[in-house]
Amino acid sequence: MTEAAAVEATSSHTPLDTAAASVLAPSRTAIDASVRPVVIGLFLTATVWLLLSTLLGALAAVKLDHPGFLNFSFLTYGRLAPAAENTFLFGWCGTAALGVGAWIIARTSGRVSPGQPLAAFGAVLWNGGVLVGLVATLGGWLRPLNGLEYPLASYVMLFAGLALFSTWVLLTFNDEEHHSLAAMFIMAAFLWLGLSLLTGNLLIATNSVTGVVQQIVAAWTAGAVSRLFLVPIALGTACYIIPKVSGAPIIAGSFARVMFWMYFICAGLSLAAKVPGDLLPLWLGATAASASILIVVPVAALVYILFASASAGHHGAGSPSLRFTIFGCGGLVLSSLLIAFSSIRSVDSVLRFTLFDFGVHSLLIHVSVTMVLFGAIYYMMPRLSECEWLSSSLISFHFLGAAYGSSMAVGMLLLSGLAAGEAISEGASSFEQVMEVGSSYFWGNSISFLLVLAGHAAFGLHFLLMALKIGQPAGEPTLLRAGSEH
Amino acid sequence: MSHSGIIFPGIIACFAVSLAATVIIPNSQLGSLSPEIKEEDGRFVDAYPVADLSLAARGKEVYVSQGCQSCHTQVVRGNDTADVERGWGVRKTVPRDYLFENPPLVGAGRLGPDLANVGSTAWRNEPADDPYKPVKRDAAWQMLHLYHPTAVSKLSNMPSYSFLFQKHRIAGSGDKDALTNLPKTLLPEDGFEIVPSADVKALVAYLLSLDRSHSLKEAPAVAASAPAHK
Repeated sequence: MTEAAAVEATSSHTPLDTAAASVLAPSRTAIDASVRPVVIGLFLTATVWLLLSTLLGALAAVKLDHPGFLNFSFLTYGRLAPAAENTFLFGWCGTAALGVGAWIIARTSGRVSPGQPLAAFGAVLWNGGVLVGLVATLGGWLRPLNGLEYPLASYVMLFAGLALFSTWVLLTFNDEEHHSLAAMFIMAAFLWLGLSLLTGNLLIATNSVTGVVQQIVAAWTAGAVSRLFLVPIALGTACYIIPKVSGAPIIAGSFARVMFWMYFICAGLSLAAKVPGDLLPLWLGATAASASILIVVPVAALVYILFASASAGHHGAGSPSLRFTIFGCGGLVLSSLLIAFSSIRSVDSVLRFTLFDFGVHSLLIHVSVTMVLFGAIYYMMPRLSECEWLSSSLISFHFLGAAYGSSMAVGMLLLSGLAAGEAISEGASSFEQVMEVGSSYFWGNSISFLLVLAGHAAFGLHFLLMALKIGQPAGEPTLLRAGSEH
Repeated sequence: MSHSGIIFPGIIACFAVSLAATVIIPNSQLGSLSPEIKEEDGRFVDAYPVADLSLAARGKEVYVSQGCQSCHTQVVRGNDTADVERGWGVRKTVPRDYLFENPPLVGAGRLGPDLANVGSTAWRNEPADDPYKPVKRDAAWQMLHLYHPTAVSKLSNMPSYSFLFQKHRIAGSGDKDALTNLPKTLLPEDGFEIVPSADVKALVAYLLSLDRSHSLKEAPAVAASAPAHK
């Protein structure tokens, strides 16, 4: 492929964009202008949360190996780990997902978004919820609900922000046309997250469910944030970005829609698997484990379809968006395979409660979803800020840190979990011996975080320059070295 | 209706199925549990579990606030497992164990040992020749463990919770709760003593209250209640 073709494919005027634009529809420039302040604001705050949560995550990783390091009450591992994870989940992934989702809905609907103040207020509330959650968790006002550690006040703000923001997206959503797969995934994700946050927190806060059912509801709600909001947003984003960049439409559209529904049914039934089997009714444990295994089918099928589209296209060589998105999609398949693997009863009995669980979660969120979100931001920002990324070297460095650093951290967590799981299954070994085996990989995890932090810092700097409209003087799309993306 | 026109009703239907299967039906099964009451000749003998309104209840709040559940589980898995063999409990933990816990502190992971029965005298089966095997894990041992974990468990990866203690100048005969079992290396300078805060006293009361070895119909004890062979 020639450089010129690649430039055409990744510039803001792709052939598909042109074909999609109706004569009567508002221009892409007008659509982008209608979402610009809110979406750039969301990306800016998401980047701040990304850097902060990665820093806290790095500190937590160091503390695994050196528990006495910075030993203050607000920085104990017990508070730091949930604070870092939830802030990464809601602050970075959630905030960026709101921005990406809103822009793609505006573009696919071909409508100028009305009511920006509504969205802006929603975004402020959402970010306020993250701030309250982070401060409260570090301050010790956390809930002992796995994945829902932020206090209730934080979830009230997150839900209120999401409700306002979703209303804005709904006003933009064109319900009359035949929707793209991307729009279906994104609207479904917004709807599920709202329903889930509301129902789950209400059930727990009002003690409508008690005892172990509270943990089941927590697993159902927290799991929905990952599997029914962030993963669908990532899949929907990939469904939008890959055809746009590669220049080839998604093949097997009807089959992909069947996989869409299969994904939501399986993911919706898989969430209780996060609760230990002995605490669940037998049928529920079996259903959740089976659904966790079946998820592999729609995820692998959808990613295969996306990869086929990427390879069928004649554009996109050197596109940073494509490189990040494809890496993230590959991670989604690997994550779903590992989730299926760890759902097998005999495997679960060995690996449950080890760092293997956190490794799989990290692969899903810190690698897969995160890389797709980066890919989307690399694609969207030149269109929103009307300037091109300044440096391909910074993007390459970011990819190095984000992709390889995060993958290395995941690898260390998985290996540590496997080693500790095997040792803990031997009743003859003392717990101290178990931890000694598992901790052999902690240093690698800490080093990986340094790489991740450096990569994300490069992205933060680059994004700031972009927000200030400091980009390529020539206005040419910034490409990585052509042909090196696969 | 076009295929895409069913997004909202379709997703709401999927959500309803997920809610029913994961929450509503399990809640109808598990939410109706009650304490198991033992009677002999029509007379009440005992009930398990019972609601805890004591200092331990405050200690549970401290446990949560310090994030202990990030590293410690409170669930013994299975009967024929390493959990039981290791002495973490005499039987598996079941939903009835958490009857009065809203929410139960199941825990996120095991970077430290399971604490479901840490208050039981039979907790853990360290080998008899383990130099760090304590005579008993009483309040004094728990206090020292929280103050300086490696003083009682050389390989412990738990951080010190020394910030829950205060160093006081000794007044009169000294504070009755001051730590008296500190090793020489941790002793404060002459004239001072290490005194646990109200929070840490509550936390220790909570830890010592954790004993789920009561045999239940659905989970009879499978291990001896006294320490096993190692």
